[in-house]
Amino acid sequence: MAISSEQVAPVETPAAVQAVDTTKGANRWQYWLFAIPALVFQFFWGWYPMVIAFFLSLTNAPIRGAVTFQGLNNYSRLLADPLVSMSFKITFIYGIGSMLLTFGIPILIAIFLLEIPAKLMRVMMLLWFVPLSGIASTLFWRYLYNEQFGIFQWIATAVLGMEPQAFLSSESWVIFWLIFPGILMFGPGLYYMTGLQGIPKSYYEAAEIEGAGFWRKIWTISLPRLRPIISMTLVFSIIGSLQEFTFPDLMTRGGPNGASRTVVMYMFTLLNEGRYGDSTSLAVLLFIVIMVLVLLYRAFFKDDPDV
Amino acid sequence: MSLFPLVGRKQPRMRVAWSLMNILLWLGIILHLIPFFIMISTSLKPAAEAMAMPPTLWPKNPTLVGWSLIWNISDIAKSLLSQPLSRYFLNSTLMTLGTIILSIPVTSLAAYATSKLIKGRATKPLFIFFIGTLMLPGIVTLIPSFLLTRNFPFPLPVPPNIPGTDIAFPTLRIWNTIWAVILPAGFSASNFLLFKGFFDGIPDSIINAARVDGGSEFNIFRRIIVPMSLPVYAVTTYFTFGGVWDSYLWPLVVIQDSAIAPLTLAIRRISDAFSGAGTTSTMTALGASSAIAPLVEQGLSWNGLMVLGLLQALPVFIFFIFAREYLLKGVRIQGLK
Repeated sequence: MAISSEQVAPVETPAAVQAVDTTKGANRWQYWLFAIPALVFQFFWGWYPMVIAFFLSLTNAPIRGAVTFQGLNNYSRLLADPLVSMSFKITFIYGIGSMLLTFGIPILIAIFLLEIPAKLMRVMMLLWFVPLSGIASTLFWRYLYNEQFGIFQWIATAVLGMEPQAFLSSESWVIFWLIFPGILMFGPGLYYMTGLQGIPKSYYEAAEIEGAGFWRKIWTISLPRLRPIISMTLVFSIIGSLQEFTFPDLMTRGGPNGASRTVVMYMFTLLNEGRYGDSTSLAVLLFIVIMVLVLLYRAFFKDDPDV
Repeated sequence: MSLFPLVGRKQPRMRVAWSLMNILLWLGIILHLIPFFIMISTSLKPAAEAMAMPPTLWPKNPTLVGWSLIWNISDIAKSLLSQPLSRYFLNSTLMTLGTIILSIPVTSLAAYATSKLIKGRATKPLFIFFIGTLMLPGIVTLIPSFLLTRNFPFPLPVPPNIPGTDIAFPTLRIWNTIWAVILPAGFSASNFLLFKGFFDGIPDSIINAARVDGGSEFNIFRRIIVPMSLPVYAVTTYFTFGGVWDSYLWPLVVIQDSAIAPLTLAIRRISDAFSGAGTTSTMTALGASSAIAPLVEQGLSWNGLMVLGLLQALPVFIFFIFAREYLLKGVRIQGLK
């Protein structure tokens, strides 16, 4: 028996169960074996590059030759670059727009879906969350937005009787057309549904006796109970939407004239030009901006529904 | 089943509210299925019909010409893609499976240790160490990680010299191999959170009972915990699959050789060819570059790109169908404090 070396305290619960103390004992080192591979990976590909980024952003990091310390030179060069401020502006519009458009709907849908009888709900849930991969959807949207024969052009000209629209080639509208497809993305819906399932039915029954109606129950029970999850997905979507690259890159490559070039896309451009120091500094700038937003959010909104 | 009152469901007002909610849900579902329908319908159209104005709902004479042209795209337009499309599929599959095989065990073992084994003062710092990166914008690691793949363990473009000599430190280069995609994904903080949330819900008494029966810690994990936790394994595998299969920026940075490039990069190339300046009138309408001229002549237009999208989406879709029963059961997450 593995537990024979332990001193067993005589208590009323089965002694052997008590004997295993997971914080002490001869095999405690074994526990760390479970974590070591992950510790190594998380160190080398998680924390190490993250910390190094801040040092690297203070150097020139040239493709050849010695790395020299540059102080804040990279930053002053970036701040003087009009493309940087432009890309930040575009990133903000994209981030705020896609969060406004996409954040609330999945919460409401999750709340509604759980009202449906279980069997039908499973089918409907499946259909709601059926995934179209991100890359495939860019091809789909580019087809829809095509200026000559896209469905949107057909709707604009033949159905609505408007002038032919430029869609993705319009400098002033391209960001809107990039935000719009977000309406079909329902990533975190699954999290909300599991969160909702954890709410005791008795809360709703009690509210009903008190005379609470449909919206009242959503507002005073469902949403507050979902608050930790809403708060978490909100933070993730702030972080995620401001780091967007794939969708605008595949849709427009940042065009026309950089009107849809996000910060990360500009980082990628700098990387391709071999300006590793500048690219890292730009990443650090974005890092700081996102963290300030996240911390501001955390300071004003509390997670805990019981407070 | 909580928002609508248990009694009085038959009242007219309740009936109207109930129907409105149902209509809204079904409308949303239809909206979600439209892309699939349009993609399938367009993929079966001949080139001209795919670019017809007004667009047709369903092809008059469905044809598979788009499917066969895209599948053989490297034979017809060699300058566009140097490898057959199946090769990119294979590369994506290898990357995805490699990442799953590495990261799911690594991450779940660590989550189990944090949740059930290591208790005491170390637990909290360990937890922060594992999930901390999730709360920070990961983009900042892009350049250092890219440099790490070139000169591991030095995140520098050129490795430093061994002090006192002119010889550079020996470094490990995984850049431009599929390991550059797999190894950095060896631990996933978001999956860690899902695993830990699930393991936290397993009573300690089960583990203690198994210890009494003399199981080694690893056997307890393998024989008792893993079989109990299949839903969370399904969810995390699904997320990993979707993530790596769709990964774009990272392969773009670390994979240069087209023989090992994933499908996403092939799609980038192909869809680029459709946005250059064209030479014939059809090609101008397509916005196509000359690299795909032979394909356009043989009848490829957006029908082929829709095929490409469908082919790329298919594995994620199949995986979703396969894992659907587990998806709701596998997520037990109560937010971060």
